[in-house]
Amino acid sequence: MIGSVEQVVIVGGGTAGWLSACLLAARRPELAITLVEAPNIPTIGVGEGTWPTMRETLATIGIPEAEFLSECDASFKQGSRFDGWGDGGEADSYYHPFTPPPPGDMAAMLAAWQADAPGAPFAAAMTPQALACDESLAPRQRAMPDYAGALNYGYHLDAGKFATLLKRHATARLGVTHVSAQVTSVANDDTGNISSLRLHDGRELAGDFFIDCSGLAAILIGGHCSVPWVDRSDVSFNDSALALQVPVEAGSAIASQTIGTAHEAGWIWDIALPTRRGIGCVFSSRFMDDARAEEVLRSYVAAKLPGTDLSALRPRKLTFSTGHRERFWHGNCLAVGLSAGFIEPLEASAIVTIELSIKALAESFPRRAATMGLLAERFNELFRYRWDRIVEFLKLHYVLSRRTEPYWLAQRDPATIPARLVEALELWRDQPPSVWDFPRMDELFCAASQQYVLYGMGFPVPAGAPDAAASQRLAEVRQRSRALAAALPSNRTYLDALRPVAAADPIAMHGAAMK
Amino acid sequence: MSNHAVLNPADHGELRIDTAASAELGDNVMACATVPAEFRSIQAHYPIVLRRDLSTGKLEALALLGFETGENLFLRDGAWDAAYRPLSMAIRPFLIGRAATPDGVGQVHVDLDHPRISKTGEGVRVFDAGGQPTPYLEDIAAKLGDLDHAHRESADFFAALDRYDLAESFTLEVTLDDGAKNSLVGYHTINEEKLSALDGPALQDLMTGGHLARIYMIIASLSHFGDLVARKNAKVRGG
Repeated sequence: MIGSVEQVVIVGGGTAGWLSACLLAARRPELAITLVEAPNIPTIGVGEGTWPTMRETLATIGIPEAEFLSECDASFKQGSRFDGWGDGGEADSYYHPFTPPPPGDMAAMLAAWQADAPGAPFAAAMTPQALACDESLAPRQRAMPDYAGALNYGYHLDAGKFATLLKRHATARLGVTHVSAQVTSVANDDTGNISSLRLHDGRELAGDFFIDCSGLAAILIGGHCSVPWVDRSDVSFNDSALALQVPVEAGSAIASQTIGTAHEAGWIWDIALPTRRGIGCVFSSRFMDDARAEEVLRSYVAAKLPGTDLSALRPRKLTFSTGHRERFWHGNCLAVGLSAGFIEPLEASAIVTIELSIKALAESFPRRAATMGLLAERFNELFRYRWDRIVEFLKLHYVLSRRTEPYWLAQRDPATIPARLVEALELWRDQPPSVWDFPRMDELFCAASQQYVLYGMGFPVPAGAPDAAASQRLAEVRQRSRALAAALPSNRTYLDALRPVAAADPIAMHGAAMK
Repeated sequence: MSNHAVLNPADHGELRIDTAASAELGDNVMACATVPAEFRSIQAHYPIVLRRDLSTGKLEALALLGFETGENLFLRDGAWDAAYRPLSMAIRPFLIGRAATPDGVGQVHVDLDHPRISKTGEGVRVFDAGGQPTPYLEDIAAKLGDLDHAHRESADFFAALDRYDLAESFTLEVTLDDGAKNSLVGYHTINEEKLSALDGPALQDLMTGGHLARIYMIIASLSHFGDLVARKNAKVRGG
């Protein structure tokens, strides 16, 4: 059929490229998908946290959960814990768990929380997940069907291993063609759409639709299409990170959540996998230099992982600009992943944005060149909305802080706070965040997320009267917390049971003692 | 063989119990003990039969789960395939222990050699991280209490059956779809002729003691033999 869209070419083979290839191939088996990847390009591989959406994604792609967990050295992620974001004191910690509060009138439940258990943290009052996280428990039992959980969960994973698994799955089981070559030039047809890619070996790769997963290089959406970049660093200041991987002792507890610990000019991520912890210091170069950031990072490791050989740690420096494309879909080219946009990984929005992009594409795929423009317009409107909400939600973490370092004061400068967030905060003095504030399908940060951050950080609870039904629901949360804490295995127990028991290597085990 | 201990958080703080149902966990029994106070729940799922202990001559009640030794037709894919698990099965590996004095308070004991004792770190905890009983242990303790109380009052019921000579032995021969025969021998049930011939004072006696309804529950429960045969046929068909 003339003008039909059948050949899809994906440029770039990191997490974004292979995840896009797998999802699109699984959802649209009638398409012929080719992924072209330059050999020997290192992937960035920092985005190691997923959302619960990844379970449906993996099930759709057709990878069994145990295979995914063991191949990617993955662990369960049940949310985030934010330490030191309020006043920076010892007890300053709250959860943003993935399991939402019980259904029902949040105003009444807030009142019931204040009346029945004012000392309990908001998240602990609203979901059994808080206790499961406190005790480093898995969200499911091994006997449960794949991707089912007693609590809502996503994953922490080794991004390099994840891309390898997806690549193998895409090429061996989903019929994706893999071309290892560098793209040297891009050719347009007479309508201005991309028609083909010229590869360094002289081959030409033609296609009807192109997905740019080339990362920061953005060779199609930026280099070729010249779609402008919208800078968001006026709201989101952080532009640098120092990343480390620290091996952990066999048998040590594996945290159920990403831990984000605030420091004087940014925050530190701490992501636990079965064999290592990924730890990184995110900061704003306007307020902190590299040397100080490294000090902050090293003192965190020394405090949290005593016994680590600090002299062996060589942090890797990353710099980034915060923002996104003015349009994500231009002509017959869609940007997915870093080529589309980047923001600090405070709420792990990178991988989920890839999933949502391909979901939107697959569910409203341009069957004909004629409808391409209509779908592009819709997509661009939707993802601009999503980026605005991401920027605002991350900013919410900063504007509620009471810390007094210059960085934190600057974060609360009204000139840096988006107008819609200011308006929302004004409304939330009278009523909790609700679906009225976040009415769209697949909102990234729905009302529940906003509530966890708001009341976790001590935002005043609107006046309200508790009712019997709300008290009853919170009593059920307490009972279910106890029952689940008793029934769930620890992350370590669960994940070790999936892995071949490593033959004890006496030299590796006692290496520290022999020095 | 057994290794019983008084359950306590100091020794058993990390103890986890495998609550699945399978032969490996010791659930491969063709019958389990039940008590009159439990008949209401048992008769909804299982045939209730009586047996006379040869050494004491006393009657006892059983829920029938299969037709031959080691056969429990209610085990399926690691789960118990009925909405109600008999108390005597549900409490394992726990049991009631009691100090030597007759009015001694019951204690929860645990059989540490029971296959339900988890060695993998999976299973349900008995005590939480703070050493407090978990909802699972609370439920087990309630069941043990119910069972203890029910055992004490059950003697009256069986004495009443003997008083009116209501227990009669029966033999059940079941022919399966494939022609194989299974017979149940050595069990007793209610003699319905004698029951319907009882006079007013006798019925009054059984009624006042709370026994009459339970007698009828035993009779009603026998309709589950059909279900049990169907399960057996399905098992034979399945290989």
